[in-house]
Amino acid sequence: SADTRGAAQARACSAPAPVTDVARLCVCDLLVAQCDVNCCCDPDCSPEEFSLFTACSVPVVIGDSHLCRQKAAVYSLDVEANPPERIFQLVDQVNPNIFCIHAANYKQALYLRSPKMPTPENFDDLLNEFGSAAFNAEPESWNVDTDVPGPPDANETQRYEYGIPIQTEDAFLRLPSPVVSSWCSDANPAGFLVNQATKCIRSVSVEKCESIQALNMLFYINSSILAFVFQVNISVQSIVVQSLDGTRTLLNGADVLRLPMILDELCLNIVLGVSYHVTYTDTGEIIEAAAAFVLGAITKETLSIQQSFQVSFTQVDTKPAPLSGNPGYVVGLPVRAGFSSQGYPFPAEFLFAALGLSTNKHRQLSILQSTPTQDCLAAQGARAPVLFGYNMISGCKLRITAPMKCQPLAQTLLDVLKGQSFPEYVASFGNSQAQDVLDWVPITHLHISEQRISNTSQSSCQIPVSFGIEVKWTKYGSLVNPQARIVNVTATLTTTTLKQLPSGRERTIPVTSSVVFTDISSPAEPGYKAWPTINIKLPFDFFYPFV
Amino acid sequence: RILNSSSQLSSLPLQILFYVNGIYSIFYFLATLAMIVYKSQVFSYPDDFLAPDLAVLFLMAMLEVPRLYLGVKGNLREEEAALGLSLGLTVGSVVLSVYLLAWQTYVLWADVVLTAVLLCAYGLESGLKVTAIAAFVS
Repeated sequence: SADTRGAAQARACSAPAPVTDVARLCVCDLLVAQCDVNCCCDPDCSPEEFSLFTACSVPVVIGDSHLCRQKAAVYSLDVEANPPERIFQLVDQVNPNIFCIHAANYKQALYLRSPKMPTPENFDDLLNEFGSAAFNAEPESWNVDTDVPGPPDANETQRYEYGIPIQTEDAFLRLPSPVVSSWCSDANPAGFLVNQATKCIRSVSVEKCESIQALNMLFYINSSILAFVFQVNISVQSIVVQSLDGTRTLLNGADVLRLPMILDELCLNIVLGVSYHVTYTDTGEIIEAAAAFVLGAITKETLSIQQSFQVSFTQVDTKPAPLSGNPGYVVGLPVRAGFSSQGYPFPAEFLFAALGLSTNKHRQLSILQSTPTQDCLAAQGARAPVLFGYNMISGCKLRITAPMKCQPLAQTLLDVLKGQSFPEYVASFGNSQAQDVLDWVPITHLHISEQRISNTSQSSCQIPVSFGIEVKWTKYGSLVNPQARIVNVTATLTTTTLKQLPSGRERTIPVTSSVVFTDISSPAEPGYKAWPTINIKLPFDFFYPFV
Repeated sequence: RILNSSSQLSSLPLQILFYVNGIYSIFYFLATLAMIVYKSQVFSYPDDFLAPDLAVLFLMAMLEVPRLYLGVKGNLREEEAALGLSLGLTVGSVVLSVYLLAWQTYVLWADVVLTAVLLCAYGLESGLKVTAIAAFVS
């Protein structure tokens, strides 16, 4: 299997041959199998498309301009003809300069060199030749020699920090991932608190399926994790068996080890996916580790399978919730929000609902999602999550055909704009925990009512027409690595009076909903390192024999 | 001494050619050197390609001096040995100029013109030397 993998890699890794014929070169041909606009040399364009061009972006394709005599491909548009057509000419370009190159015996001078493809043999030489400080920076802890798994030095670090590879009895907790190509490499360690999910391809065969270690459940749970105080065994959390046609069934008893075995012409119980769940305390100690397996079967014809691996870290006594940043919000991740439970006697103790779980989409901060029909009353409650940093505006149209009762209409529109359960608090940081009360920002509500300067009385009912959420955020932390922190969230509801129209006339009122993120960061203040203090201590017996 | 042109076997055209060749060789050497410097600045001219070209040029310059000296001496003293030696050195110079014409790393159009003129001069010179040697020997 190593031979086929090496051959496949060698086939895949050779660079395409360079094109030097000017008639076939086209620098403006950027879209594959599509016609590029105003690109007269594009082979994907048809004569009809050429007739729509206004000019040729690349009029001449020529080699090195220093050559005395060379072929040039000249493209031009004949606008006189009806329809305009493209003219292609291959001309001999003569350079009148007496210092033009008549002949060059050094072929590499006129063409760019094809770069060498890195292979395991020449990688070190290439790294020495072309590598620089950017490639050479590696923290000492990554120097794990996989050939000789040395015993980890337990006295070095007291606990795991973010990114440190999780060490096990033999080497480290492996998360096979694709390196360079899509083939699995078993040398990728799982880093502490780094949630990773990888997919890679492994070559298999039914004859050797019992001997390939990476297809065996034991390979992934064999060695126990070294937590520096004690060892944590990796338990089997669940086993899902996937049949050949893809249906998955969860097995009841998860303590039985299922090893690959050959039956008829199939090999059963080979590992298709592993999902590690590691539990840690708030002091950074690993106390539990579990692995959930997906086992499958392969036939004689199967030459390779795709394995997927995942590792996730959960703090003990917390419900796992996907973070939107650590600690500052990451642009594009949903803004986390929640409620406080009503009727609690102690205002300081808030009990927050489960946040951001995929089953509770209604409890995220969300905004109305525009539908193709744009009808407010027919909106099925489609909501889009508010993503940090993305200003959004959406809306719908309210068509009033017949006199409607104002109060139910106002309530319906309010539901459409705010959603079923509009949260009360927004997380200040992307990783705010529910138990840290001060990390949550209450949503301020504002109400603006557009009063028409007419003889409408105050008590005429108002319908909401605009709902805007303004999220003010600031950059927090160091200038080099600023973290986004939400400081204030204001939800403004604008209402207007509903004028009743005589029946038969139809009116359309636009209803909008928007989210705006405003950066209110104050300018950075320089921070200086403390001046070094002179620490002079006289020796103990300096004043001997007087003291 | 009889100053009779019919008994003077030294070739006047050859002498003129030697004189012109001397001046042209100096000009050719300086011009080619300047162009090699220009090429090394404008084009990519790695050292292992620059070294042979410079070596050939300097070798040609060093060959030119004894060649012209022997030729002039042989022609004026009507010595066919010196003229023959000069002819041999001319063959070497021709080979070196053919290298500069065809196998240099970059052959510019100016290179072609100058070296072609030089090769014409060598050719003409060689022809005249052969006739002079024939005149001296007989």
